[in-house]
Amino acid sequence: MLKKTTIDKLPELAAALMEKGTLVAPVKEDAGFNFREITDAKQVDLIFHNTIISPKSAFFPQVEDFVRYQTGKSILEAAPVELNLKPTFLFGVRPCDVKSFQIMDIHFSGTGVVDPYWQKRREATTIFGFAFDMNEAADAAEFYHTLGIGAADPEGSDIFMVRKDDILMLKVITPKGEKLMTGLSFLTDASADEIKYFDDYITKGYDYKTCYTCVDTEAIAREFEAIFDNADFWTKISDACLSCGVCTFVCPTCYCFDICDETLFSQGTRRRVWDACMFTDFTLEASGHNPRTKVYQRLRQKVCHKYSYHIRKYGVISCVGCGRCTRYCPVNIDIFSIVEEAVKAKWYKRL
Amino acid sequence: MTISFKQIEEKLKTEAKRLLESGQASVVLAYGKGYDEKHPMPYVARNPSDVANIVFNEYCNYNMARYLVRYPAGTKIAVAVKAADSRAVIQLIQEEKVKREDLVLLGIPVYGMKNPKTQEIIDGKTTGGLYNPVLYDILLGDEVHGQAIQSPYDVLAAYELMDKEARFAFWKKEFDKCIRCYACRKACPMCYCDPCFIDQNKPKWGDKSPQSHGNLMYHLTRFHHLAGRCIDCGECSRACPVDIPLYLFHKKVAKECEEMFGQAAGMSIEDKPALVNFRVDDSDKILE
Repeated sequence: MLKKTTIDKLPELAAALMEKGTLVAPVKEDAGFNFREITDAKQVDLIFHNTIISPKSAFFPQVEDFVRYQTGKSILEAAPVELNLKPTFLFGVRPCDVKSFQIMDIHFSGTGVVDPYWQKRREATTIFGFAFDMNEAADAAEFYHTLGIGAADPEGSDIFMVRKDDILMLKVITPKGEKLMTGLSFLTDASADEIKYFDDYITKGYDYKTCYTCVDTEAIAREFEAIFDNADFWTKISDACLSCGVCTFVCPTCYCFDICDETLFSQGTRRRVWDACMFTDFTLEASGHNPRTKVYQRLRQKVCHKYSYHIRKYGVISCVGCGRCTRYCPVNIDIFSIVEEAVKAKWYKRL
Repeated sequence: MTISFKQIEEKLKTEAKRLLESGQASVVLAYGKGYDEKHPMPYVARNPSDVANIVFNEYCNYNMARYLVRYPAGTKIAVAVKAADSRAVIQLIQEEKVKREDLVLLGIPVYGMKNPKTQEIIDGKTTGGLYNPVLYDILLGDEVHGQAIQSPYDVLAAYELMDKEARFAFWKKEFDKCIRCYACRKACPMCYCDPCFIDQNKPKWGDKSPQSHGNLMYHLTRFHHLAGRCIDCGECSRACPVDIPLYLFHKKVAKECEEMFGQAAGMSIEDKPALVNFRVDDSDKILE
């Protein structure tokens, strides 16, 4: 089922979704775009390349409150924070970011231990995927094509959207999407030409080149294992690294967190907060010992976790090539060139 | 006079090679190729053969003095310094984090550096408004003369017009954007504390979650820790992924410090940091 509307009617679509529940969509801010809960239907803006913070925050927010308590009172008076979710619509997610949800599912529910917060948010949410604009050149930092993700890859979305000039086409992908779409009566049916354009666009998306050719996951995992103890290699790679947390915070597949008790006056909250393996105190033990004191050890952990351990453990690379880590790195460290460096000229070729 | 970036790059390569070959330096902190021309990277040359990778163009904003404290004491380091970066080196010498005799300063006289994100020229706005390095051993080019000098404090004009309430509202709005990635402190050559106060949990100075009060605690404390020490390189503001104009606060504090104590940070290795030095003629304005 392919429906359509026009870009100038976007506020109408947004208002309809807001009536049904919570709408989370790209909003223009000072430094760029970010996914935010929409309060005014006119805020939704689809003229963007990609957001600064990845949409993982819709399911795994930077701060998740668990329990509220009061200092000096009995623990029995502490109350868990209930998640009362309305149906949520995550609108305008790029195909590579949609893929990241599947990778994150492995950690938050796939291994048998289910994170209720992630799970509830996932279940409440309908995802509107949104194809990249293939008329503009790929950002130099992106490499999703390298990882087998098309620029208009509908997999993982409930409804997938393609923009053609001022027309926005929406296609139902899953039953969840279908249920929602039938309720949006003001959308009109697309013409046969538009259906053809839509299907061609998706096919064309798989040929839309980002900066490298294909990858061989087995070769990458093997090469990183071989190079693990090579301190010279890792020191050189991390010479520029500041050891800040930008790359992990903007990443759609980084999932490390810390559980903190934070008290303001006597009101306390136990909450989950994003953490980053690049932080100096990340693996600091209570004894005072820290197994990763050097910058190179921390950067190695980050790269090897995504490109080596994750392949060995779950069979897939924990990266979708969205390019955020490279784009927002204060010193322009390009994660894929580290892979390139490690796996010297076996299978890759820079386009 | 225009700056020839290519010429500076060639001189940087020649000097780096000479220093590494003669053993005068075991590492050279300079700039190298990134994933494209607009995105060069900080680069460390350890062997004469590494020198080929060195580049210099208008996007090489990095303050390489930030990396000095990473090397063990006694390491002979050659470091490429632009004007603000040389002030960072001087400040680190004043604070006894590095020794003058361990360093070879490759001074770069330059103006017209650009922010790759916005393409704007950063002279004066987020750097100290100087074009020639304050301290150097080898100058890679001719000193810049005749180029209009902007006061580093000019950009404060609009900020200073705001009253106390407006300023607080301004910073509250800016700090609410903060995601606590700590790129600002990590990019800062003067932020070398280990552990940083915000990472301590006994006592705990601020919350880890990116919420208003914790963000305010982190940034205001960091601003004050840098009072009289910030050398105005602007790296914190450029490192910020959400574009918080941290330089405004740093400049304001630097300006007041300069008025009160008659010295700007990192201008002479003979100076002592303003806030750790007591002089009988010190201003009492701070007590008012």
